[in-house]
Amino acid sequence: MPNFKRPIPVSRWKEIKEKEVPVPNLPVPEDTTQMQQPMGGTIPKQQPQSQGVPASQDNPGEQGKQPVAGWEKMPLTNDLKVNLQQIRAILKDCSDVLYRVFSVTHHEEVSVAVIYLDGLVDKSLVNDNIIKAIMLEYPMAAHGETQLTRANALSIIRNQAISNTEVKEQKLFGEIIETILNGDVTLLVDGHEKALMAGARGWEARAVSEPETETVIRGPREGFVETLRTNTSLLRRRIKNPEFKIETLKLGRITNTEVAIAYIKGIANDKIVKEVKNRLSRIDIDSVLETGYLEEFIEDSPASPFSQVNRTERPDKVAANLLEGRVAILVDGTPFVLTVPTFFVEFLQASEDYYERPYLVSFIRLMRFASLLMALLLPSLYIAITTYHPEMLPTSLLLSIAAQREGVPFPAFVEALLMEISFEALREAGVRLPRPVGQAVSIVGALIIGEAAVQAGFVAPSMVIVVAVTGIASFAIGGYTAGISMRLLRFPIMLLAASLGLYGVMLGIIAIVVHMVSLRSFGMPYLYPLAPTNFGDMKDTFTRVPWWSKMKRPGLISQYNRQRINPGQEPKPSEGGDNSAGTG
Amino acid sequence: MLEQGKISGRQAYLLIINVILATAILFVPAVVSSTAKENGWLAAILATAVGIVISILIANLGLRFPDRNLFDYLGDLIGTLPGKIIALLYIWWFLHMTAEVVRSFGSFLVVAFLTETPISVFNFSILILAGWTVKQGLEVICRANEIFLPLILIGLIVLFLLALPEMDFRWLLPVMEHGVKPIIHGAITPISWYGQIATMLMIIPFLKQPQNFRKIQNLAVITIGFFFTMVVLGTVAIFGPELTPRFIFPTLNAARIINIANLLERLDPIVMAIWITGAFIKITFFYYVAALGTAQLLNLSSYRPVVYPLGIIIGAMSILIHPSILELEHFIGKIWPVYAITTFEVGIPVLLLLIAILRGKGGKSQWSKKSPQS
Repeated sequence: MPNFKRPIPVSRWKEIKEKEVPVPNLPVPEDTTQMQQPMGGTIPKQQPQSQGVPASQDNPGEQGKQPVAGWEKMPLTNDLKVNLQQIRAILKDCSDVLYRVFSVTHHEEVSVAVIYLDGLVDKSLVNDNIIKAIMLEYPMAAHGETQLTRANALSIIRNQAISNTEVKEQKLFGEIIETILNGDVTLLVDGHEKALMAGARGWEARAVSEPETETVIRGPREGFVETLRTNTSLLRRRIKNPEFKIETLKLGRITNTEVAIAYIKGIANDKIVKEVKNRLSRIDIDSVLETGYLEEFIEDSPASPFSQVNRTERPDKVAANLLEGRVAILVDGTPFVLTVPTFFVEFLQASEDYYERPYLVSFIRLMRFASLLMALLLPSLYIAITTYHPEMLPTSLLLSIAAQREGVPFPAFVEALLMEISFEALREAGVRLPRPVGQAVSIVGALIIGEAAVQAGFVAPSMVIVVAVTGIASFAIGGYTAGISMRLLRFPIMLLAASLGLYGVMLGIIAIVVHMVSLRSFGMPYLYPLAPTNFGDMKDTFTRVPWWSKMKRPGLISQYNRQRINPGQEPKPSEGGDNSAGTG
Repeated sequence: MLEQGKISGRQAYLLIINVILATAILFVPAVVSSTAKENGWLAAILATAVGIVISILIANLGLRFPDRNLFDYLGDLIGTLPGKIIALLYIWWFLHMTAEVVRSFGSFLVVAFLTETPISVFNFSILILAGWTVKQGLEVICRANEIFLPLILIGLIVLFLLALPEMDFRWLLPVMEHGVKPIIHGAITPISWYGQIATMLMIIPFLKQPQNFRKIQNLAVITIGFFFTMVVLGTVAIFGPELTPRFIFPTLNAARIINIANLLERLDPIVMAIWITGAFIKITFFYYVAALGTAQLLNLSSYRPVVYPLGIIIGAMSILIHPSILELEHFIGKIWPVYAITTFEVGIPVLLLLIAILRGKGGKSQWSKKSPQS
């Protein structure tokens, strides 16, 4: 009985795949080294395809060989041909791998092979710094000096010929393959059991540009890109401190995606850092294409409409989060970076809040909280009041609503549901469609929903206003993520309002609050600093106090090293009196 | 221990306030002024003073065993079998009290807002929600209360301020025309509400710093006293001593007559929100204590399996106990105080404290080292 939960390692996975094709399992004719165990079969019909590099010195007949199981841990041999043969077997049918085999004749003739992935390396670097340096420049420059022999070739190439900044010696096939797949260059030298890895990554990447999901009026315009290294550099440029640590690990059995954990040692809580590492290393998945994959593995309560991990495209936001003691998780291939632990109030804050004047920001933050409530409750309040508690409205308003609703054939709940669903559909259409079409859709939607539906008598104009205000409020919340949960929770509350009136709305609110206070993000209460209440941290929740009075980092996340700002820095007029000219 | 969570001092403070204040706030003016008339506010103050005495008594008993709750040490004090019997009686009291609160919760909504809905809809819907919350533990109850209670208190103060123009403080005169007797009479029901603080005996071991409990409790009682007095003063000043006792929920009627420049009027949804959230926490807490006690009595490893079965009992009881809201009001005003104060709220705790002192049980000595008597 196979255990389906256990992951299949890549090597096994390959074997299984091969086994599906009926392959005559012929014994290897000549057993040159100990690596080639008899279990590797040959496929006679599959001849090697052209690899783009002419005149390779190895035997083409042996290219169809299966890689030996467990090649990851297998050491290199000192025979270049055998090594190449093994690598070709592992990278069989990968047409983007280029092999360049040449020989250098200085004192003795030494064969060298350069292997890299086309498109992932900077070709000019490979040409100038590696191939040209070994083939031409070293033999010409080093005339009278050390003779290049088969015995010292590797160290001479490493130390004197190639001029890359990043060079490493490697001994295992697993390491070599990883090097190649990562976009670095591997050099194999005949007669040596080691390979040289030379860093020459360079591929087409999107330039650093302003993030579209989080635009600001004031603040840096840089956003993360899809390359992990660029992203870490964007962070490192903001935090130039040796205590800023970036640790990496590989996730994804097939994709081998690089995942980085960034934190500031001494500010971040060690327990949380350890917990993040634990949770990440527990993940066993075939691929990681976006941070969303990881988010669902590391959150505390998977069965919740609320996102418990914050994500952002903005390096300044991540840097600020790191400085508050949070841990960032970066994944190669996506501009979205996760920061944990996350509190709900973070979704109602923007990075710009900390750059603009505090009084304005405090007002905007209060408005965001109001928008949050409106986005969640407005349609249900409308339903509840018009259906169950009309006496709560002032008489004139009640009369006008009643007059509007006179010809409407549906109860308020159905009316609201129709409008909300068509609004959500409209919004979704606007997001997914190509931009020019999207605009057309929104115009059509606005006309139909705004005008025609009212004129046709399907909905009351007051309902259109309610839905429109709800929509605006859900945009004004700030974080897209918080908006999503509110959009989702709006519907059950509408149902409660339709069945139990204001009492139903209250039940819904209580249920949501109870659920939210029971949530945790990496062990930290989600509604902090509201519950458990911390008045010190509330300064930066509904309001944003000026920087000079924001003495401490948020509690709970950074339990030590909490002092941020030395007290007494409040700006005051200079004591010497008025500095302006002309007055005494 | 059946409960893993720990609650902070502030959370305990807010919890005590809500557990006593939440439902009382609607009934207190009518109950107090029915006998004490215009001196109702004096009755509220008197009740608060007695409340502090009860709170000191409860704290003295509870803090003798700071790491165990009532059901843990009952057996130690009076023997296993009598302990079990008393525990069973206490569970009855918790269930009965929860059912009373659920009943008054539903009655209020039926009387004041959704007159055509059957009361069982309210009782069972709030019990389902409360049961779900109880299952999540004391920490979640306390955190939810941390969100709701400040809003409740702010709401009460805002209502009081908005109702100021309607108030005529001459209604409060004359002071003590008929002597002290009616005041003492009026204070009895509020005292029985303060007595509900006895439920805290069940959660003292879950406090992060039990040594502060005495202070927290007294502070909470004083806060509650402030709000009781404020509400009694406000409603009597609005309606007068004759009209106030005729309403079932004078606080609601007071909110209904608020009218500021035709702009702020019909503020009864605020009262409704205060009532629903406050009663929810109160129901949840009593429900939690009942579930915890039942699990302790039956030696269960978790209280969660008994939550919904108890909920069904409470729900059924809440519908059966009173035929009408008038009977409910009569019961709360006349019968409940005698029944609760003499037994579970004061009677049994006093006996237990005496037994503990006489038999030298409980860590008085180990305890006094940690905290000076406050």
